[in-house]
Amino acid sequence: MSRHDFTERDLHLALDRELQEDERATYENWLQAHPDMKARAARYQEDVERLRTATASFADEPVPERLRALVTEKGARRRARMLRGWHTAAAAAFLLVGLGGGYLVGASGWLRIDPQSVRLAESAIAAHNVYSAEKLHVVEVGADQHEHLVRWLSKRLDIPLVTPDLTKHGFALVGGRLLPQGDQRAAQFMYEDKDGNRVSLYVARNAIPRDTGFRFVQEGSTRAVFWMERDYGCAVTGSVADARLPTIADDAYKQLLAGMKT
Amino acid sequence: MDDRRKAILEEIPGLRRYARALLRDRDAADDLIQDCLERALSRLDNWHTGENPRRWLFTIMHNIFLDQVRRDRRHGVDRAVALDAREAQAVPAVQSGAAESLEILDALQAISPDRRAAILMVSVEGFSYAEASAILGVPAGTLMSRIARGREDLRALLETDQRRRSIRVVEP
Repeated sequence: MSRHDFTERDLHLALDRELQEDERATYENWLQAHPDMKARAARYQEDVERLRTATASFADEPVPERLRALVTEKGARRRARMLRGWHTAAAAAFLLVGLGGGYLVGASGWLRIDPQSVRLAESAIAAHNVYSAEKLHVVEVGADQHEHLVRWLSKRLDIPLVTPDLTKHGFALVGGRLLPQGDQRAAQFMYEDKDGNRVSLYVARNAIPRDTGFRFVQEGSTRAVFWMERDYGCAVTGSVADARLPTIADDAYKQLLAGMKT
Repeated sequence: MDDRRKAILEEIPGLRRYARALLRDRDAADDLIQDCLERALSRLDNWHTGENPRRWLFTIMHNIFLDQVRRDRRHGVDRAVALDAREAQAVPAVQSGAAESLEILDALQAISPDRRAAILMVSVEGFSYAEASAILGVPAGTLMSRIARGREDLRALLETDQRRRSIRVVEP
């Protein structure tokens, strides 16, 4: 009843209305007798009020359609999933291209970004940054030996690869190389436009088969669109300034998938 | 729409307030909520109408948040928001003249995720210590120390900000 051993901890209990009812009066007396504690309690109180003020408007904002649709509509999950992560105007343009595409089927599960996907994106960006900067040694095997390049990398990755034709986006194949990704193998195909801009396609085998929709990641001035297609993961990587990237990724996705089937 | 979906829908504004304060970035917050809703909907059959939907959803969301924090730590992922997106969302807050709000939200980002979550659950969302302990899955004592330390962290950060500002004013 008559507790006199209040401590700083009780400032928080009082602030959060967790003090026992019969302790409140004693607490108030104690506070009057300890001006330093009283001042501290006032500052904490002030911070709590600032925090409430700062966050109050968040709950008043209209709920985004993608969240509402998720709860109200059946089958809205896949579409909503595609909309995540795309926060830029370039991304919005891409979505218009992509929404009708067949890859929506691949979007499932609730994980935001699984470690395997993160590794893929990181490796693809690192490889792009290293090799797209090269003048003379951009690739290991050039496009002039196209057939050999595709056969070789397909064999190493144990995936029937194709080199997507990106000429309608202004990019021509320079060639490709074999790369390590953890203890697995990965392939990188490098493309170049007439102005010397480079875009690379990175393909690696998945340790755990998985399907995802397109994801977007940016590191420094490099941007990548990446996805998982059962046994393999892909990333299309290029410069941030290149608005063509999402469209290219969409096209590459379709051509790779068609290539697997034939 | 059945009652359970309706109940979930009504909780979204509260979830958004919490997630926005927790992650600062609007899109990241909505992604977190989306993950939470997807998981909740997939487990709708496990949820009984007697159970408080708010507490249930916050528990799910907190678990997903923890997974993210662990994953980010492990992989050192930089969840960088595109600059234009960050600027775009800063504009309305500045216009409403809430420099103080921006300051405390920024300071909140600088404290540990555990303490940040505890403070928000109790101070903003109004959960009791018992409720917050259950949602966060920690004993009451742990929750209390997170709240106390978190508030001290926050105070220290805000005071540093204040000091810095006053120094800048004195400069010619």
